Amino acid sequence: MAQESLEGRTDEDDGLPETCLSFELRGEWGHFRRVEGNIVKQTYRIIPRTTVAGLVAAMLGLDRDSYYEAFSQNVSAVAVEPIDELRAINMPMNTLSTAKEHMTTMPSRGHARISMPDPSELRQQHNYEVLVEPAYRVDLQLANDDLRGRLQDRLRDGTSYYPPSLGLSEHLAEVTYLGEFELTPHERETTDVDSVVLEAVDSVELTPETEVKVERSPAFMAADEGGRTTTAFQSIAYATGAEPLRVQDVETHEVDGRRVMFS
Amino acid sequence: MSLLPEPSTFEKRYSDDEKLASELPDRPITSLRDLQYVYGRLYTLATAGGGEYAAYLTPEKSTDLFDESESLLYLRVDLSEDKPRLDPDQPIGVESYGKEKVEAVAHSWYNAAKGFDHSVTHRTGKNKEPEKVAEYLHERLTAWAADDVIQEAVADHEDGWIVDALAELGESEGLRERIETAVDEQLDGKTTALTTVAVKSEPDGEYLLPGEASSVFNEAMRARKRSKLVSKGEATDSIGEATDLVTGNRGPTVGTAEDPLNYFLGKQLEKFPGFDPDEAWRTHPVSEDVAVTLMNASTFVDACDYYTMGANVYYLPYFFGRLGPEDARDLYGLLYDLVHAGEMSPLESAYRSYQDTPRLQEVGERFRFYVAAVMEHQTKRFDVFGDSMDGTLFSPVELTRSHQRVLRSWLYDAEGDADHPDPGLRAAFPTPDNWDIFVPEESALLSTLATGWYFEQTFAPADDDDASADDYRIRALVAVLSGEPLDIETVLTEYVERLLEDEGEEFPSFRVAAQYAQLCALAEAGLLTGRDAYEPVAEPRQLTHDQTDDMQQDTPARADGGNVAAARETKLEQFLEQTPALAEDQPERRGSFLLGALVGQVTGYQQVSEGRSTTLIDQYPIKAVTESKLKRLASDVLDKNIVYSRENNMAGTMYSEVVDRLVTTLPQLDIDGDWELDTTDLRFYYSLGVAYGMNNWTSSDDDEQADGQPAAEEEEA
Repeated sequence: MAQESLEGRTDEDDGLPETCLSFELRGEWGHFRRVEGNIVKQTYRIIPRTTVAGLVAAMLGLDRDSYYEAFSQNVSAVAVEPIDELRAINMPMNTLSTAKEHMTTMPSRGHARISMPDPSELRQQHNYEVLVEPAYRVDLQLANDDLRGRLQDRLRDGTSYYPPSLGLSEHLAEVTYLGEFELTPHERETTDVDSVVLEAVDSVELTPETEVKVERSPAFMAADEGGRTTTAFQSIAYATGAEPLRVQDVETHEVDGRRVMFS
Repeated sequence: MSLLPEPSTFEKRYSDDEKLASELPDRPITSLRDLQYVYGRLYTLATAGGGEYAAYLTPEKSTDLFDESESLLYLRVDLSEDKPRLDPDQPIGVESYGKEKVEAVAHSWYNAAKGFDHSVTHRTGKNKEPEKVAEYLHERLTAWAADDVIQEAVADHEDGWIVDALAELGESEGLRERIETAVDEQLDGKTTALTTVAVKSEPDGEYLLPGEASSVFNEAMRARKRSKLVSKGEATDSIGEATDLVTGNRGPTVGTAEDPLNYFLGKQLEKFPGFDPDEAWRTHPVSEDVAVTLMNASTFVDACDYYTMGANVYYLPYFFGRLGPEDARDLYGLLYDLVHAGEMSPLESAYRSYQDTPRLQEVGERFRFYVAAVMEHQTKRFDVFGDSMDGTLFSPVELTRSHQRVLRSWLYDAEGDADHPDPGLRAAFPTPDNWDIFVPEESALLSTLATGWYFEQTFAPADDDDASADDYRIRALVAVLSGEPLDIETVLTEYVERLLEDEGEEFPSFRVAAQYAQLCALAEAGLLTGRDAYEPVAEPRQLTHDQTDDMQQDTPARADGGNVAAARETKLEQFLEQTPALAEDQPERRGSFLLGALVGQVTGYQQVSEGRSTTLIDQYPIKAVTESKLKRLASDVLDKNIVYSRENNMAGTMYSEVVDRLVTTLPQLDIDGDWELDTTDLRFYYSLGVAYGMNNWTSSDDDEQADGQPAAEEEEA
């Protein structure tokens, strides 16, 4: 099966379409490793925007490092809303060391060689922080009409090129299509926001009743000669119990009777 | 001792809002790195004055050596003649390090097991033998001065020749031996010290320490420290163009910066593209400036760290949102207090600062903490057992207040002044003086909580000394510090496991009492979350002052004042009424509590009135209670109670208040049908009943039989 390529018309002048595709992501487990750690394996609570892009690219079978532009600012917009309470547990896992001294190179000579951990070594136990039954609603706008059409077909049919997962490949995701929805933009105002709050962390109203949590995760990426880098991070505020947050003086969109923030 | 200026000095120096704001990040603190960056900025601002090298020096690292004898050792190198040489009369200098020498010594510490500090000044390990000290001194020349990075950095400096001369001296024959002899002669024994060089460049000049001698030393130090941002361990050149994860600015980013918390290290290859450590900058991009600032957070980060239950607990204060100038000054004051907190835990210190500082109280909901429990398996192998950006001061403080209210209520009557159903009868549960968890005093409880002792007294002990991810005591501590509710199911499992472990010679009624007080406090502070069948347990008695008043009105006034049986009836009625978990629509739990209460009462009777060593609780220990056996156990115990009543020639049944309720509850138990509770739940409430029953006695002996059983004595906690 040939990998799909990225074609279609992306016209920045036309801007984003007036509708978005909405789907639910669920799984038994999820792990979105926070970038500030590699020794420690802590997870973001909210699926990062870059992970949403990667997951959609996987469903469409797009090649590695080929899709970042299609998900960049101006030609895409993503809103994420946690559906259920966000909960994480410690999951100790036995892993192989990837320290240089424990790596073997296969085959031992030649040009096409790969490095891998020596599977005969003893495992070390490490703790992974893992999300328990994470569930998000994603509203996605894509300017590229070919991509949008193919995604909508996939969502409708319930098919996927690669198995979608929540962070790690072993945490399979269940994707449910909710439909295509109109977007109604709203001027700046103080309102309850159903999706996670993007960047406007300072404008979230703090009360003793709502537990407002924050995190900062990768949002946009770009490919370069040597690989890829994150081009922008974004700050996110959300409520653990997945309730809406009241935000002052903020631009929102109405989607399916809900108020969301896109980035 | 610390070199940080007093908060008032800091405030004066940075009284200009606009100027201070320009030094701070222009967006909210939303990640651990953001927070470390702010700490690093505040630290650099506070200690600035050292000029362009200030951010690269670590003056705080060795303040512990201040005024210690033999804590500053240096080679006296004479460079005034053609050939560099050690001073022939006095080759080494030995002094006591002190505050006035900080700039001259210009130390830049490097966190590495092997290798040397960035500055020519190097800190020795703890209590080193003279021989080892001599080696360190020698290495100032052979390792530091001869280092490639340093050599390259000083090549164009006008005083570069000084470093070259030091390296040349290092090569000379017999030098090591000369240093060893000199050290042997001058040192009394083992020492911990800063080792460095002092150079004399004019024949009649003085020997000057690095910071006084020439900027070439600091220039070299800075180059070395910067080099470690891109090359460390397996990485040789981890640098590339990317977006800085703190500032969001595009530019060169480095991949092997140190992290004060060691969450990110260069040797974890699987996280780098192609297992290539040189690609580390792609996964953790920080600019050189940010990297150095993050390292400078370490003084403050270390001040907010303490060790308990085999883990390092971090409790880093900050303010939600963007840090304004006023916030920055307040945060500095708070961190200053934490650095000087002495034995106090960061939680207690932060709370004290909060109470003493009206401005902090105004910050209110914005006052937050990064909370984490970190286990260090080895110096560089870490596990985090829970962390959160969203800790609050209110959550632990609210819990201790709830706990106090529980202890002061009639259930515990820790202070002996609560309104009892009958003053002659004991409170529902015992409160032994020597258990910290029964001290109804805020600061004591806060300390008990901060150290983890609060959960160590009630949860199952760990399997070994090392912390582990399964250790729920650590999870609970982090959860309470960060205001996250605990799972009731797990809490009860921990409780029962501990009770089973304790249950040996004596029934652990103090333990049960401690657990129940904690459970009530957790529930009242909103720190319990229930799932499915466990939902009702999440609502044990909510103790508020209003309810205490109600209770008082409900208590029938009795003229005789001495009928203990009637008092027991009132007490039990009240207890059941005020405990939703034991409501009549919870027959399983109510049944096991009542069964426990009866066993506890009879046990007390047997111990005191009959002097028996084997009692009912020995026959029906906690582990005997299971869903399938509950009914049979209950009828056995009821039978025994009737026998005792007859033996004592009583008109009715002993403890009829318990017996009557048990008899009406038992038929509702549908063992084969939709049984809703599991063994853990039953066992906990059975134990609660036993503790209640055993404590249900009076000191006055003026009543019918069986009213004088003292509770079993227990081992001290």
